[in-house]
Amino acid sequence: MSEPAETSVSAAPAPAGPAASEAPSSTAGSTGGRHGRRARARVLPPRRATAYTAAAGGLLLLALPFYLDRFWLQAGLLAMAAAIGAIGLNLLTGATGQLSLGHSFFLAVGAYGYCVLAGGRDGELTGLGLPGWLAVTGAVALAGLAGGLFSPIAGRLRGAYLGIATLALVFIGQHVLLNAHDLTGGYNGRPVPPLSLFGLTFDDTETVVAAVPFQSMEKLWYAGLVLLAVCAFFAHGVLRDRPGRALNAIRDHRIAAGVMGVPVARQRAGVFVLSSMYAGLAGVLLALVFQQTVPEYFGIVLALEYLAMIVIGGLGSVSGAVTGAVFVTLLPQILTRYSEALPLVSAPGTGGVAPGEMSRYLYGAAIVAIVLFLPGGLVRLAARRGHTQKDEA
Amino acid sequence: MKTVKTQKKHTARAAAVVAATALALIATGCSSKAGGGDSGGAGTGADGVRTDKGVTDETIRIGALTDMTGVYASLGKSVTQAQQLYIDQINSDGGICGRKLELTVRDHGYDAGKAIPAYTELQPKVVGFVQFLGSPFVSAVKERIDGQHKVLVLPQAWSADLLGSEYIRVIGATYDVETVNAIDFLLKEGKIAEGDTIGHVYFEGDYGENALKGAEHAAQKAGLTLVEQKIKPTDEDMSAQVAAFKKAGVKAIVISAGPRQAASLVGVSAAAGLNVPIIGNNSAFAPQLLKTQAGPVLQKDYYVAASTLPIGSEEPEPARLARKYAEAYPDDILDNGVAAGWSAASVFGAALKQACDDKDLTREGVVKALTSMEDHDGGFGIRHDFSDPGLPSTRESFILKPDGKTEGGLKVYREAEASKNAQAFSFEK
Amino acid sequence: MTTFVELLLSGLSIGSVYALIALGFVIIFKATEVVNFAHASLLLAGGYLTAVLRDDIGFWAALLVGVAGAAAVGALVEFLVIRRYRGHDHSVLAIVTIGVDIVLVTELTRQIGARVLPMGDPWGDEVLTLGAVSIPQTRVAAFVTATLIIGAFLLAFRFTSWGVAMRAVAEHPETAALMGIRLGRVSSSAWAVAGGLATVAALFLTVFPTPGLERGTSLVALKAFPAAILGGLDSTTGALAGGLIIGVTQSMAAGYQSDLTFLGRGIGDLAPYLVMLLVLLVRPAGLFGTRELSRV
Repeated sequence: MSEPAETSVSAAPAPAGPAASEAPSSTAGSTGGRHGRRARARVLPPRRATAYTAAAGGLLLLALPFYLDRFWLQAGLLAMAAAIGAIGLNLLTGATGQLSLGHSFFLAVGAYGYCVLAGGRDGELTGLGLPGWLAVTGAVALAGLAGGLFSPIAGRLRGAYLGIATLALVFIGQHVLLNAHDLTGGYNGRPVPPLSLFGLTFDDTETVVAAVPFQSMEKLWYAGLVLLAVCAFFAHGVLRDRPGRALNAIRDHRIAAGVMGVPVARQRAGVFVLSSMYAGLAGVLLALVFQQTVPEYFGIVLALEYLAMIVIGGLGSVSGAVTGAVFVTLLPQILTRYSEALPLVSAPGTGGVAPGEMSRYLYGAAIVAIVLFLPGGLVRLAARRGHTQKDEA
Repeated sequence: MKTVKTQKKHTARAAAVVAATALALIATGCSSKAGGGDSGGAGTGADGVRTDKGVTDETIRIGALTDMTGVYASLGKSVTQAQQLYIDQINSDGGICGRKLELTVRDHGYDAGKAIPAYTELQPKVVGFVQFLGSPFVSAVKERIDGQHKVLVLPQAWSADLLGSEYIRVIGATYDVETVNAIDFLLKEGKIAEGDTIGHVYFEGDYGENALKGAEHAAQKAGLTLVEQKIKPTDEDMSAQVAAFKKAGVKAIVISAGPRQAASLVGVSAAAGLNVPIIGNNSAFAPQLLKTQAGPVLQKDYYVAASTLPIGSEEPEPARLARKYAEAYPDDILDNGVAAGWSAASVFGAALKQACDDKDLTREGVVKALTSMEDHDGGFGIRHDFSDPGLPSTRESFILKPDGKTEGGLKVYREAEASKNAQAFSFEK
Repeated sequence: MTTFVELLLSGLSIGSVYALIALGFVIIFKATEVVNFAHASLLLAGGYLTAVLRDDIGFWAALLVGVAGAAAVGALVEFLVIRRYRGHDHSVLAIVTIGVDIVLVTELTRQIGARVLPMGDPWGDEVLTLGAVSIPQTRVAAFVTATLIIGAFLLAFRFTSWGVAMRAVAEHPETAALMGIRLGRVSSSAWAVAGGLATVAALFLTVFPTPGLERGTSLVALKAFPAAILGGLDSTTGALAGGLIIGVTQSMAAGYQSDLTFLGRGIGDLAPYLVMLLVLLVRPAGLFGTRELSRV
């Protein structure tokens, strides 16, 4: 623990986690110990920021609900949900090399699972009316279970085969979402019961905190930060320790990994379940932010967006997933919101490039450009800049 | 050791920057969010008109949430451009209540991840939404519309699921009554009779499933047997459906799907020797199809039910709109989205004018004004009654027929009417 | 019975079109080990070129230009993107093709706009009637063309030097390179061929009974993915078999929808994927795919 550069949370320009996560993260750094070091150097991007920066960033994140309006809070929460999902996908695709196009299916399982577990019986809609914490845990477990049911395939297939096999999940998911009316509410989705934890309800009734009215987004913001921090911390631990090295070994040389005693099929199935659970939690948060599930959202485009996130941010690392999630989620929101003021982008319908199209060009091109010219993703860019500054000094 | 030192220096600098930013944010942020709740609070203008959100002394801001880059891009474009045209015209006539109208458009590309944030963004800034395309997204924010925002939303969708809200108002007949009218038209024309079997191709989703309710109702009333074929919007080849209908011996087919499915259905039926009349809902036609090889068969025995005059009608309003639209957007296709967009905008405009007369341009005032409109005539052949939020504004449907010689590709085959079954149709859920 | 035969023929003919797409997919995979998610955009590019040019230069010339154009786009993607990749993770390359696809499809749909572009093919909406069974001529043409093309490729793989080179590369790229096979040339030719095949598929997907090419056409390429996987990603025979199985499954599931209501209506789109999953459970490398010798 002699070098500050080694101990802190990532330098990502992203909600990498509130101050709360720093302390455990650095202790994990020391317990990870010598054994983890070499693997870590490969998996994790070099870091430069110290705990000070992270703490300041964390404080900033904690302060945001007092100043941002609902649109930005909602966008930020969508980015947090995406970050949780992307961390899960990065464990699977980035660290283990297993391609998944079915991530949106597991998001849907989480989102709808939460609605069914937490919701009351309403008309033809089924609901169990469980307390909030149980419903969230249950939804995540359901997503994990769905991943587990897929393990006969997830454990045996790899690369492209798995990618397209998981594509099937998206189609099956869409079919079920639109047809199982009493569970899913069909085409128009079902209302998402607000999360209720320890007497605090994350709904739109106003609670005034320091003269600022707190509605659902403000309250959820903190729930989102905590969830993201926990998820990031856990994934961090998985990646830097034994399991992470086993996963990397499977990715880099499957047969050698097997020879060295890594149970390849079981590890693959296991990481698939874990990644599904991350997706499930992301789905729960997403549902809470949207306040109503929209079945069409959980389609193939979303699954592709998640792949774009991890490639753009950086494969195989937590900070990469978070960075990519923030980039891919916020880019279209910003372009749409400021479409009038941006060059090259024209208001929809005037014949030029619409903001929606512009964001697709940009992120499509970003995927290609980053893989070709910046292997390691945006987090590597931040790291590289850190290095050059160091050299100048 | 040197690197460590510089690193420390560097990070200290970074921390300072972050802290400064945070401070700046706190300083600037305090004033806007604390205390007041929503900004742009209620007040009374210089002219004694009460206002709240979206209205100042100079402008009235209206929102439109549309799709110009996703699956419904062609519809969204026509609707939005027609609405812009309406607003430009009102403004050149001096505006409403001495205020200029201003349309703010957000393109959501038919993606919930953009549509819901777009609603969140525009909602505090506008007096109402003249367009909200995509009924799943309208449903998604319905609770907020009804509960907190109480803002007028005119969805660009005709599913009966949307009925029942004071703030979300469907303009025209919903798909279920429209389908009832369509089947009753076939009966009246003697194309089918009691005891016959008819086929129904419908989209998965609220459009198709709402139309199916109407078809079931009409079939049961008339003693018809209904053969259902549910399809997805990505199915474009109707061969399997036609084979199934042929086997069932259908005497007519109703289609509640998109234009491309209609073209394929009509073409395949003709090719397979299944020469039966086919009728679609208002969304099951697009003028572009007449230029494809399905064109000739579409003009034979295919009909469309709709609750607005077609854009190619010679009545004064549609004719004027067609001329102006072609002037403003010479490269774009004149389709029924233009008429639908204009109609919605004119309803919104009429409500604003009424609200102005009532000296109440608040959101509540606009909604109240709309609810008081019991006999609105936008010049598109149908009179709308907005007094009951539980009902569509009309139960009447025109029967239109594709015609390659008419602008917009549709001409009136039968004037608007509501069949007996349509009048008795109950919208209870 | 008539219905069954009609559905079967309809399924076989559309299946042969899926087989064309799947074949392109397989060829690219054999040559470069890349799963090409940009296939949809190649299909759209070729179809678009054919549709916009046919008024000026006639249908056949337009089709030729379309095939050549999509082949060029394919080769260009290979040259500008795939070849530049320094890493060795093929999953990453697959994601890169998603990026390529997003850019190309966005541009093409912007060009197509709200239009529905008819192909102007010579078959029109004519129908071939055999007894009680009738089938559109376009479908007959699709089946015949696809069979001829796929047959030609199977022969080419076996007997031409290009085919031998391709197989050698698929077997062991380093060894093939050492034997004097130019990997770059094999790889770009594979992408070009896939582009050309996709254009032929685009043609038959957008002629009667579908009204024409429009912005959603690229989505149809998704249906060919299960075809390729089901047959085995590295098997040309597999592509053919997979395409036909998917086509027939889809047609039957839609045609007998009323008898399958226990699965929920509208199962037609889903059926291909269900069949694929079943096959993968039994044979993880697909029906005809090379089974891995290593078990870990």
